Amino acid sequence: MVSDMTMDATLSSHLQELRRGTVVVASLTVLRTPGYGYSLLETLSAAGFEVEANTLYPLLRRLESQGLLTSSWNTDEARPRKFYRTTEQGDAIAAALRDEWTRLDRAVTDLDTPAETVSGSDK
Amino acid sequence: MTTLIDRYVYTVLRRVPEQQRADIDRELRTSIEDAVEARVDGGSTRDAAIEQTLVELGDPDRLADGYADRPLYLIGPELYPHWRRLLTMLAWVVLPTAVTILAIFDAVEGAGFGEVIGGVIGNLLTIGVNLAFWVTAVFAVLERTGVGRAELRRNRAWSPDDLPSYEPGFLTVGQFAGSLLWPVLVIAALVLQQFTFSEVPVLDPDNWTFWWPYFIVVMILEGVYGVWLFRSHGWTHAATAANAVLGLLFAVPMIWLLATERFFNPEFIAMQDWGSVDPLSWLTGIVITIVALGTIWDIIEVAIRAERARRGLPTPVPGTGREFTALTRSGKPM
Repeated sequence: MVSDMTMDATLSSHLQELRRGTVVVASLTVLRTPGYGYSLLETLSAAGFEVEANTLYPLLRRLESQGLLTSSWNTDEARPRKFYRTTEQGDAIAAALRDEWTRLDRAVTDLDTPAETVSGSDK
Repeated sequence: MTTLIDRYVYTVLRRVPEQQRADIDRELRTSIEDAVEARVDGGSTRDAAIEQTLVELGDPDRLADGYADRPLYLIGPELYPHWRRLLTMLAWVVLPTAVTILAIFDAVEGAGFGEVIGGVIGNLLTIGVNLAFWVTAVFAVLERTGVGRAELRRNRAWSPDDLPSYEPGFLTVGQFAGSLLWPVLVIAALVLQQFTFSEVPVLDPDNWTFWWPYFIVVMILEGVYGVWLFRSHGWTHAATAANAVLGLLFAVPMIWLLATERFFNPEFIAMQDWGSVDPLSWLTGIVITIVALGTIWDIIEVAIRAERARRGLPTPVPGTGREFTALTRSGKPM
């Protein structure tokens, strides 16, 4: 029999698999208002996204190199910070990703609801 | 004094491409300071806040890999099975063969039983480690240059036409890696014998003016031939011809050098004491035999493969335990 501990590990690896990619949508959506690394981290965890700093910081640079974010150094304050902002392309991609998310959510819900919808769809 | 944060940031920067360093340095420090400040505001001491923040950021090497966006493996899942198959084959076939031949050499030279056993153990280790290293190095290069992958998954959508034909003309990734490994080993051996294997070079150093570089060029051409063969997907009569030409370009000058006693280093020969037998004529005879037979065997083997491919005869498919006959595109036997 599979032990509870193995099941926990299995669950957490599947959860991780499912969550991968959501950070991208969330970041591109949040950064329509310019923000820096730590502020984004705070916003995301407050919003309920389980994201770690060591994934988020490299991700921001990758999105920037893909042209989905732009960045500029803000030196007005005592601590200079690198502000990221979603580009037009980034915004378009985020919109497409959000649509996909909605579609998947609906599809999963449909699958989960009892069989009547399936027999009804025969007509 | 370098602080804990300095040490963390430096450790990350060490493994990040140089042109990104300055920017990552600045950004990472700010991010760490922000997190520390938030913790201090929450009531911790600064030292505890720094420590917690760094623990949360985790292993700096992993963070650096994230920044550098590089693969965290030497040989990925696509090439791994081929790497393992080739290495297993070499360990079971080539290694014992090479060690046995060297042991026979030792025995002929009049080494005692203990010396021969010692030699066997030493050779097992040296040759084994070298095989493993060079095979792995070749595969790591394939992985990073994407040569193998480009073949496995081309730059366009996959179609059923991409399925290996399993005709006798089929060249596996393992065979391909093998065809690259041979030139690498020969070139390495040629260069290393000048410096390491024995007190004086085994081969005549005078030949560095022309012949040894010539053999290196021929070996590079062998590698190019291997890539071409792999890309053109198979053993054809053109492959037979190219293989024969390359084989002869290698074997003929080598046999000629051997026959005119310009192959071995005279100093090396002078140091050999094989009792009543003359080392030069024995070594020359053995090497000429090996080169001649090896070349003839190789030329005939490739010619037979190409002929089988042309006729579409059944061929065992490596790693499946099955035999396949050449099929036409529609699936009917030719």
